[in-house]
Amino acid sequence: MDNSKKKLSLGQKQSLAGWAFLTPAVLFIAVMSFLPMIQALFLSFQSGKGANLSWAGVTNYVRMFQDPVFMQALKNNFIYLIIQVPIMLILALILASLLNNKDLRFKGLFRTAIFLPCATSLVSYAVIFRSLFAVDGLINIVLIKLGFLSTGYNFLGHPNSARIVIILALIWRWTGYNMVFYLSGLQNIEYSIYESAKIDGASPIQSFWGITVPLLKPTILLTAIMSTNGTLQLFDESVNLTYGGPSNATITMSHYIYNVSFKYVPNFGYAAAMSYLILFLVAVLAFLQMKVGDKRD
Amino acid sequence: MKKKIVSLLLAGAMVASLTACGNSGSGGQASGGKDGGAKGGNELTVWCWDPAFNIYSMNEAAKVYQKDHPDFKLNVVETPWADIQTKLTTAATSGKLDTLPDIILLQDNAFQKNVLTYPDAFKDITASGIDFTQFAKAKTAYSVVNGKNYGVPFDNGAVVACYRTDILDQAGYKVDDFKDITWSKYQQMGEEILAKTGKPLLSCQAGESDLIMMMLQSAGGSLFDKDGKPSMVGNDKLKKVMETYASLVKSGVLIEVNDWDQYVGTLTNSTVGGTINGCWIMASIQTAEDQSGKWAITNMPKLEGVDGATNYSNNGGSSWAITSVCKNPDLAYDFMAKTFAGSTSFYETILPKSGALSTYLPAAQSKVYAEPQKFFGDAPVYATITDFASKIPSNNTGVYYYEARDAVATAITNVVAGADIDAEIKTAEDTVNFAMGK
Repeated sequence: MDNSKKKLSLGQKQSLAGWAFLTPAVLFIAVMSFLPMIQALFLSFQSGKGANLSWAGVTNYVRMFQDPVFMQALKNNFIYLIIQVPIMLILALILASLLNNKDLRFKGLFRTAIFLPCATSLVSYAVIFRSLFAVDGLINIVLIKLGFLSTGYNFLGHPNSARIVIILALIWRWTGYNMVFYLSGLQNIEYSIYESAKIDGASPIQSFWGITVPLLKPTILLTAIMSTNGTLQLFDESVNLTYGGPSNATITMSHYIYNVSFKYVPNFGYAAAMSYLILFLVAVLAFLQMKVGDKRD
Repeated sequence: MKKKIVSLLLAGAMVASLTACGNSGSGGQASGGKDGGAKGGNELTVWCWDPAFNIYSMNEAAKVYQKDHPDFKLNVVETPWADIQTKLTTAATSGKLDTLPDIILLQDNAFQKNVLTYPDAFKDITASGIDFTQFAKAKTAYSVVNGKNYGVPFDNGAVVACYRTDILDQAGYKVDDFKDITWSKYQQMGEEILAKTGKPLLSCQAGESDLIMMMLQSAGGSLFDKDGKPSMVGNDKLKKVMETYASLVKSGVLIEVNDWDQYVGTLTNSTVGGTINGCWIMASIQTAEDQSGKWAITNMPKLEGVDGATNYSNNGGSSWAITSVCKNPDLAYDFMAKTFAGSTSFYETILPKSGALSTYLPAAQSKVYAEPQKFFGDAPVYATITDFASKIPSNNTGVYYYEARDAVATAITNVVAGADIDAEIKTAEDTVNFAMGK
């Protein structure tokens, strides 16, 4: 009896110490992150120029659905999401299983090379892609030299090709990042499973779909949620690579929110409301992916 | 991870509230007056952004003023324009104006927006003793809000048309053939030059409306009326500008590139035979030293069949504003009146090194301005430009200028791609009206 009481108080002591260690971090997160989020929520129900804000109810939320530019931005975000995320994740998965091969030489070199793009600065890689796809840029010169084109094609001057350039840039930048998650997930899969599959006559493709994909499901779910989240908040590529153009064909929601707050006459209430829509979309999509993807029992 | 704009916004709110809580030390430093009342009496703090240009000019102005006022101290803080705008927005929205310095440099395009959105942040300097009649009228108009002066005009954005004399020569033209012409004449000669040399005459940045705005202002047109309401639908000048622009692109005389670097590249790599822009573009042109002597300037073409069309316009430029928290307004007024608004010799000092062309009209009479410039075929280009500056028609920028520019840029992109001009202008006006909350 005495003994267990003592143990309990020790446990209490420990948890007390634990809370003491946690408190500073919790306080910081609450003040630096949650408090502004709540403030932004209040802000999203106000409207006005700059500092002259007044309560406006749900006007901002109604307004964004009547705003053609914002609707265009929403559409663009979903185009990126639907096309880019699946391509990127499948590519990352393939690369990860290739690089997980035990007999492969210079594994470290390949892994580093593929991971390296996501260590580059967002702005500089966007600027480099912009000059690559310029009318007199490298891509056009190569295409002309190879005889595919007679004059340079203005990739960034046409809506669809500009979107493709953004998608290519995103794939280049983020595939390696997702691959690293898959690689670490693959380390938890026993190699003997593959060996026995091999003995049973499974082809590499069969063992990929039959072993790798199902066993990596939690990691795939994680990367899918992270990529969805990231794509919906896409900002740098739109701002630096295409400037949102031509005629808003590539502008993203975050880019438009930035314009509304800092480039145009500031309307922080409206900007906050649009930010909350992104939050809502991310939450809904993440929830759906959890429901669909996570079938662990 | 990717940048989180949401948290950025939230962080913005945080910064505002933090500034409100702690009376930050930087505020005291920036305003220059807090750390010693007596000492602060002779000191001014300025925000501006270009070490080779406006910062240099400010420091030279301080030297001029110090000759008569040895105690005077000037503290220039290098602040990029985007930061100035963000800091101003933060200070004004949080009500902590004392974080601002005494004098800030504002882009002319953003002047009206800032004064009208944050009226408490700026001083009305109409009666400060600064003589505004000595400046080019169209330039001063950028910093006049509701009939009151809020800014001292600084650099010149007068539009010049620059031509490569060697390329014109190949097609049998001279620069004088391009003086006082119309856009259709320009296009006709441009087509001939394109056919003979394979070089377009003009390049510009796609998705930007600089050229459109220059053409529009050259005929005294604006995207807004006097009351700040959008006036695009039924604006004959705007329609004519759009037609002219689309026709130039179609003919191949005007090529669109995607960013600023490519634009400057077309000039320095001899891809095009000329350009039309604010006179500050001459600094970029002169980076191509091998082209020295091959450039010449004249005025821009004018619109046809439009009332009030001229060969003169404006693009860019900036003006000095005095903030409402300035501790020594009288000192700031006097400093401005004796340098930027009253000293020809000051402008003579800054011109050769920085190329900072003034809109201060008496400076144009100066000998330094009349000196021939080797790069531009030994022509006295600075005097020419100052003369251009005095002939520019005014326009209304209004509060929603950036919204309107973007809307027009979207419209022209679609028009070039084949859309109907009237419908696109209507859409652009709707976009601006929407932004204005109507």
